[in-house]
Amino acid sequence: MEKLMLVLIAVVVTAGCSWDDEETFYPELQICDTLDVSFAMDVVPIMAMNCYSCHSNANAPEFTSGFALEDHADVSASSIRIVGAINHNDGFLAMPRGGAGKLDTCSINTIEAWVNSGSPDN
Amino acid sequence: MRIYRLIILLSFALQGYHFSVAAQELESFLEDQMKETTDFTSATFKSTRILNGHSNELTKEGQLDFRISHRFGRINEGAYEFFGLDQAHIHLGLEYGIKDWVMVGIGRGTFEKTVDVFTKFSLLRQSTGVRNMPVSVTFMSGIYVNGLRWSDPERENYFRHRLSFVQQLMVTRKFSPGFSLQLTPSYLHRNFVETAADPNDIFALGAGSRLKLGKRVSLNAEYFYLFIPDVETLSTPIYNPLSLGIDIETGGHVFQIILTNSVGMTENAFLGHTTGRWLDGDIHIGFNISRVFQIKK
Repeated sequence: MEKLMLVLIAVVVTAGCSWDDEETFYPELQICDTLDVSFAMDVVPIMAMNCYSCHSNANAPEFTSGFALEDHADVSASSIRIVGAINHNDGFLAMPRGGAGKLDTCSINTIEAWVNSGSPDN
Repeated sequence: MRIYRLIILLSFALQGYHFSVAAQELESFLEDQMKETTDFTSATFKSTRILNGHSNELTKEGQLDFRISHRFGRINEGAYEFFGLDQAHIHLGLEYGIKDWVMVGIGRGTFEKTVDVFTKFSLLRQSTGVRNMPVSVTFMSGIYVNGLRWSDPERENYFRHRLSFVQQLMVTRKFSPGFSLQLTPSYLHRNFVETAADPNDIFALGAGSRLKLGKRVSLNAEYFYLFIPDVETLSTPIYNPLSLGIDIETGGHVFQIILTNSVGMTENAFLGHTTGRWLDGDIHIGFNISRVFQIKK
């Protein structure tokens, strides 16, 4: 009887189970298509969400000494600097600032893929 | 004269009868005594592990077993990596016998920085005599906590996703003083896996054996067949763990030298993450050292 009780306790202890997988549990983080990245469709939305509070054409003069990242020409000209900043690489000012941490992996990969494809205005 | 002879003959005959009855009584008394005892089989395996997996053996009541295990890198990494010896995976464990039939253990391993706790019960013991039992049956239940940092600390992470569980039944028979065999039906549950193609539940059937080579040395083998239909569809293919090794017993130590295709030393690791194949030379050298201390008399 004592043995049976202990076996039952062991079974109860292991009852807190879940049947999850990372792909399904965090779907928004998993779909990361870095083929044919578009500046307008892919890069600008990431920038808008994470950068334009300071780096938009309107805010840049006040917050960033005029370093705006809205127009294709501006972003393209600073692409190496952007990649270094979002990866928090040595020698670059880590972005975003203000304790927000790094961008999510998919956003970083998307911007890198766009820069690696020659920063096209597409 | 005739009467005297007859009396002498009769007395010898009666004595003979008397002796014969006494011998029969003694024999039946001894038989009864034999029948009243049960002879339990001991030392089916030399250690609580066959090699990677559990054996039916338990730490005795009041004994503390300190276990140190190493698995090195793969032999096929060549001379530059000193055939794997440049890399070491370690597992340290403390295991205690609460009673002769129940033990508990806690350990920490390099693989996924896992902390493991387990409990093992002896349900049936192989025996002869009054109670005749052909096999020993032992149950093991373990919980494994992945200690790695979250791959993405920004997302909402849940502690339960660190957990996996293993239940095993060890059905063991010591066929002779020199040969023991164990079958180990096993169930691994992982709360969180990488992709939808990776199974949360893995069933396996293990087989392990011990062949005694000398008074202190034995040859052990252990194999687990994983019931996974097509391993190539998994995000990382996993293979059946096969281990060969030698047990050397020296006083309070049991020393096991091992060749295995699994780097993991706990059940969740060798059942769920054996990525090496023997045929490709993905073999790890390893060893287990067990030192038993008598804590409670």
